[in-house]
Amino acid sequence: MQFNGKQPLGVVYNTSMSRPDAALNLALLYGFAGKREARIGSVCVSGAGLGAAIFCDIVAQFYTPGPPHNANQTLPTGLAAVVPLPDDSPMVRAAVEKKNDKGQPLYPRTVSRISDTSLAEAVLRNGVIYNAEAVVVLSAPAADLARTLGLQGTRELYKQRVKLLVLVDAGAKQDAVALRRLLAEWPTPIMLCGKAVGEALLFPAAVIAKDAKEFSWAPANPVLDAYRAFRTMPYDAPCWDLAATLYAVHPDHAFFETDAGTIQVADDGAITFAAGAGPHKALRADPAKRDKIMALLVELASAKPAQPQQRVRPPQQDVKTPPAKPAGQ
Amino acid sequence: MIVTRKALSRRTILRGLGAAVSLPFLDAMTPAFAASTMPGGRPVRAAWFYVPNGIDMRHWTPAEEGPLGTLPGILAPLEPMKKDITILSNLTANWGRPLLVGAGDHGRAAAAYMTGMEVYRTAGADLKVGMSGDQVIANAIGNQTKLPSLEVGLEEARMAGNCDNGYSCAYAYNLAWKTETQPLPPISNPRNLFERLFGTDIAEAPAAHARRLAMRKSILDQVLGDTQKLESNLGTADRRKLDQYLTSVREIEQQVERSEKDGMVIDPGMEKPYGVPPEFPDYFRLMTDMMLVAFKADLTRVATCMIGREGSTRAYPEIGVPDGHHPLTHHMGNMAMLDKVREINSLHMKLFAEFLAKLKATKEGDSNLLDQSMIIYGSGISDGNVHTHDQLPTILAGRGDNFVSPGRHIIYQRETPVANLFATMAERMGVRPEHVGDSTGRLPGLSLS
Repeated sequence: MQFNGKQPLGVVYNTSMSRPDAALNLALLYGFAGKREARIGSVCVSGAGLGAAIFCDIVAQFYTPGPPHNANQTLPTGLAAVVPLPDDSPMVRAAVEKKNDKGQPLYPRTVSRISDTSLAEAVLRNGVIYNAEAVVVLSAPAADLARTLGLQGTRELYKQRVKLLVLVDAGAKQDAVALRRLLAEWPTPIMLCGKAVGEALLFPAAVIAKDAKEFSWAPANPVLDAYRAFRTMPYDAPCWDLAATLYAVHPDHAFFETDAGTIQVADDGAITFAAGAGPHKALRADPAKRDKIMALLVELASAKPAQPQQRVRPPQQDVKTPPAKPAGQ
Repeated sequence: MIVTRKALSRRTILRGLGAAVSLPFLDAMTPAFAASTMPGGRPVRAAWFYVPNGIDMRHWTPAEEGPLGTLPGILAPLEPMKKDITILSNLTANWGRPLLVGAGDHGRAAAAYMTGMEVYRTAGADLKVGMSGDQVIANAIGNQTKLPSLEVGLEEARMAGNCDNGYSCAYAYNLAWKTETQPLPPISNPRNLFERLFGTDIAEAPAAHARRLAMRKSILDQVLGDTQKLESNLGTADRRKLDQYLTSVREIEQQVERSEKDGMVIDPGMEKPYGVPPEFPDYFRLMTDMMLVAFKADLTRVATCMIGREGSTRAYPEIGVPDGHHPLTHHMGNMAMLDKVREINSLHMKLFAEFLAKLKATKEGDSNLLDQSMIIYGSGISDGNVHTHDQLPTILAGRGDNFVSPGRHIIYQRETPVANLFATMAERMGVRPEHVGDSTGRLPGLSLS
């Protein structure tokens, strides 16, 4: 991996892919990648079925068509392959099972079975190893990420390279034991993106509508299919994961207010935040900045995939082509 | 009736000046009425065969998971042993990848594969990687055998110099790392390997050693007295077994001697040390025959064999491939070059299959050496053309004493560290490491029971 300037920040995204903001967040990550403001370190599905991993792979293929430019730089989607796997949600099935006129899957994919996915704890860790600087967005059961803390050298790795862990609380019950371990042992700052933050930032249904100009660059888009299948349209989806990722990539852009305090986990997995002196922080949405944030999120999440950057050889000054050597030399 | 028979020690050694020949398992080593079991349980062996420059994976991976059907082309020599091997797909050596460091895949691959750790880029003496999977085992159980582990290589080891983009040659030439800074160089000279196996711990005086070699005196002559004494206490079956074993040792010794004579005629295209058979297949067979004897006589239970150093440019004129191995693997889709890569891969596999067949033919109590072993054949690179370090070619041969249920193709989730396999093997050997390198746990599904 060779870059001319500073390497983009790597984002490791641990998702349950159970809400439309999770699908949109994949599009957002590719939007950041297109602007070289961030790159995807790895995507790992926890607490969902194989269809969710296939969906993530479909989106990856959709936004980065063609063979990988460097097979060593793209990690396959991770999946916590518990037995039995949860059923696939209608949201992911809408894209995964969508067919073309010939009855074939509409969206190309490289994942069709569990062995096409990556081992969850390995891909979470390796996604950090791939990047000099990374952030982790956790919007899934905490078990897999917590388990990585027990791997040799991983805590030190996170301490060196992970700037921030953003924990998303969209109201789903967490794995209390795993999350408590994570909160106790995670070696870098933890930010909570709580329920109120996502609910304050609603993705406009008009952008998802079939005739909307924002996504008009493609006749079909798996992210839109998922969004439309989640609930009867039109509806505005809360943007928990997008807010978390936006903050993770640009913590210094003052998009959000932050409060110090302590993240607490009840025995039933409910998350609360106690403001005051404490080791953690929580995001707070500022209504005055809502329109600016939403405009940015819409722009990034609806961005057409960027063409891969051509490697251009710097101009060679005062270099003359040497005369051709005679044959045989 | 009073049973007075006393079992012969498993550690019995035939000694002589400059010689110490360990014995294979004999019936006399079991207590009376327990002829089918081995004292202290049957030992399990582990070995790693490392092949450099990746594999032509199009002719390696079986199409289906589950019971093995007809094997793909490169694996065809293993067809008769199909029920003794397990093909493991999708294992990864993450630290072989360029990650933040960049080029140097061959420089990193072998060390990253065996240790599961980051390979510190240096061409100097400040080597740093990690303890290799074999040494995790050897460090724990090596005191139970004459040699804690055995390191064999089919290219003369280099310990210094820049072999690939700033990576020390020590990383490319060594498989075994006793500590994160201490490689154990493989023995590539047949005579040295023979002496390591059958020489005494007490060094023979140099003059006597030279005199013995000059007189072509067999190491068995040195232990003749002990041999005769032992034979007088053995039954007919054990005497026959001992005779066969000592004959095989003598045959190896004679091969070593022949190689030393032949070694004067060296292939001008390949730098070879004195005493190395000019033809690669003969070299492979001679060295692995000694590995077999080492296992048979329980001289060690842990071994590694570097078939070629990572990035090897060895040519194989014996099979009509005069080109260097490494350059061929950068074929850029050129089918003629790919065909030659496949030829090399197939030759290695044919020789490995021969070794496995010999293990299987070697009885040990009511079992055989292959069933008692876990033999890995693999590489830290899969596609040598683009240097991928995932979906690695991996064969696990043997049953590890009823631990593995072979005859299958198992496909794991991608990114599964190959170190998980090594950790699993270590556990089977009675070692319970918390981690082996970047392992995330044990490898499931090796046993069906």
